[in-house]
Amino acid sequence: MSGVQFTRRAAGFMAFAAASALALSACGPSATPQGSEGAGELSSEPVTLTMTWWGNDTRQANTQKIIDAFEKAHPNINIEPSYSDWAGYWDKLATETAANNTPDIIQMDALYLSTYADRGALLDLSSLGDALNTSDLPQAAVDSGKVGDSLYAVSAGLTAYSLVANTSIFQQAGVELPDDKTWTWKDFAEITKKISDSGAGKYYGASAYGFEDGALRMWARQNGDQLFDKDGKVVIKQETVKSWWDELKKLTETGSVAPASTTIEKQSGGLSESLSATNQAALGFWWNGQLTALSKASGQDLKLLRVPESSGGKYWYKPSMFWSASSRTQHKAEAALFLDFLVNSQEAADIQLTERGVPANEKIRTAITPKLSETDKAVVAFLDDLSGDVGEAEPVTPPGGSAIEALLKKYTEQVLFDQVSTDKAAEGFIKDLSSEIQN
Amino acid sequence: MSALGELHSLTKREKGQPKVKVKHRHNKAAYLFLLPWFLGLGIITIGPMISSLILSFTKYNLLQAPKFIGFDNYIRMLSDESLHQSLGVTFLYVFVSVPVQLGMALALALLLDRGVRGLAFYRSVFYLPSLLGSSVAIAVLWKQVFGTEGLVNQFLAMFGIAGQGWISSPQTALGTLIILNVWTFGAPMVIFLAGLRQIPTMYYEAASTDGASKFRQFRTITLPLLTPIIFFNLVLQIIHAFQSFTQAFIVSGGSGGPAESTLFYTLYLYIRGFSNFDMGYASAMAWVLLLIIGAFTAINFWASKHWVFYDD
Repeated sequence: MSGVQFTRRAAGFMAFAAASALALSACGPSATPQGSEGAGELSSEPVTLTMTWWGNDTRQANTQKIIDAFEKAHPNINIEPSYSDWAGYWDKLATETAANNTPDIIQMDALYLSTYADRGALLDLSSLGDALNTSDLPQAAVDSGKVGDSLYAVSAGLTAYSLVANTSIFQQAGVELPDDKTWTWKDFAEITKKISDSGAGKYYGASAYGFEDGALRMWARQNGDQLFDKDGKVVIKQETVKSWWDELKKLTETGSVAPASTTIEKQSGGLSESLSATNQAALGFWWNGQLTALSKASGQDLKLLRVPESSGGKYWYKPSMFWSASSRTQHKAEAALFLDFLVNSQEAADIQLTERGVPANEKIRTAITPKLSETDKAVVAFLDDLSGDVGEAEPVTPPGGSAIEALLKKYTEQVLFDQVSTDKAAEGFIKDLSSEIQN
Repeated sequence: MSALGELHSLTKREKGQPKVKVKHRHNKAAYLFLLPWFLGLGIITIGPMISSLILSFTKYNLLQAPKFIGFDNYIRMLSDESLHQSLGVTFLYVFVSVPVQLGMALALALLLDRGVRGLAFYRSVFYLPSLLGSSVAIAVLWKQVFGTEGLVNQFLAMFGIAGQGWISSPQTALGTLIILNVWTFGAPMVIFLAGLRQIPTMYYEAASTDGASKFRQFRTITLPLLTPIIFFNLVLQIIHAFQSFTQAFIVSGGSGGPAESTLFYTLYLYIRGFSNFDMGYASAMAWVLLLIIGAFTAINFWASKHWVFYDD
């Protein structure tokens, strides 16, 4: 008799079946229709617009309120929201776009704007004509949403790079807040070292930079360098990038910033798990508009400081985020109506305040001032106070440049864990980023 | 008795019979019944496979029409350091986790096969991780368990050992994923159990009459008769391990970090395709993975001639 009924053929078949179940699928290409002139007529039939954004819980709640207000004013329009955190957002948007399923209204970032615009995924908003009014925005803010001569995005707000300081940790450590208009990187190292020493592992002087492009752009500007030029080429010098990582390494070795392993663990958890949000770092590198969300998460008194050595035109205003529309939207008129509501209506601004950055629309900025909370006021004041020190805007990030985040993360981790010299990391980073842009 | 074995013997039996017409009529009915499966195979598997093969020879950024570039994607792989890193990580993962997992599965199957009371209960308990192992929830849990303030470090602290961030250190991150895979030993264990049940008891009776020790019985009866099962599990688990994705994706936050130490091949493929808009290259990577898995399976089958014993 045959004991084990497991024949050669059966085993082979099963193995083949398993192997062929490999996911080899990819989505097919698709045509991109070009819009005609004007936004067209508003429909009286029920219309559904899909909308997507990234962000924290505060933003989610705010945006839902804005949607409710809009739907109340326009009962035949239904807004279908979807949202996620920053990291998952872009994978999802890319997949949806490839599947011809792009949301009608898209929250867009400067890192990705040209990537999507260049490839025909975004609607040229100037084709909407008067339906979307941009006349209350300063020209510089309008221009920041342009790629070439076409307007692909309208600025939702402005923001600037900053340090978020936890005043109670400063107090606990017995260290005075620095004069942020004059302080140097040397001061930064000394202050953070003192705080870390007093914290003995409970809290640190600062959380590490190195995982997003804001810090590198700032460092480049401080060293008379820049990341990208106007033609979209990577022009930053290897020496600049090397010195940036040298400084980070020094700060980590002296204990000024948290140990590498803590940094990396916290870094993957987003804003709400960051050392700043959990009150474990006296200083953290953030875009200033994030102050409100961070304060809510931390529950302690947080204050905005300028980055060391940043006076004299080193600063720049960054569009915190944009609103874009899909080039494939079936409802141009309604999309324009909603975009206009987001950017120009007092009602939306009253709900949102500075959560998406300080409104670029100057009328709106004045109108919301009396309603601002303490942290909102601090965000606006920080930006206004900078105006004398703001230099040239950053050139548009070229298509493919969004890869910079993943590359910075990879090389910063390798540097922090001593797997590569800062020199080699800088060389590799520039090489990799250049090749992503050429792709 | 497996359904395939039954089918096999059925067709053998029919060979001598001349009723060709009847056979054909049966075939038509069979194909009709199989139609939904064929449709699924065509639309969900073969179709996308062919389109991905075509895409692998193009530059395709997801948003614009693909451009034909010949073998460029495949040539680029030769100098892509992240790709080489991802191959290293994946091979290490496969070669460590699969043998350990199968060893564990076999050991527990032997233990349970000795007539433990409440066998069904234990079998279910041990099988449970296999159902959950590749889920997002477990990967999230893993991240917590091996975190700096996680369960593992709290346990170590009871003995005065200072732990570390296991997930956030490049030396140990892959190790935690290997442990996760080993933990899902339930599926091969159940198959081992079924195999053990099919070994006729008369062999053991004869052996113990001759005075063979338990170990001797295991080595000369159990193991040889179990080799087809071991082989089956080996092939399946290797393929399965090569395709691991979810665990690394969640645990590393989608980056394969820290410092690319958990950059599985499939994860890098995903990053290239969906984060870097490089779908042509990602398609080429998918086909190279198919070739790698195919090669491993072929080697396995070739080697099986020398150690797998078929009793049929």
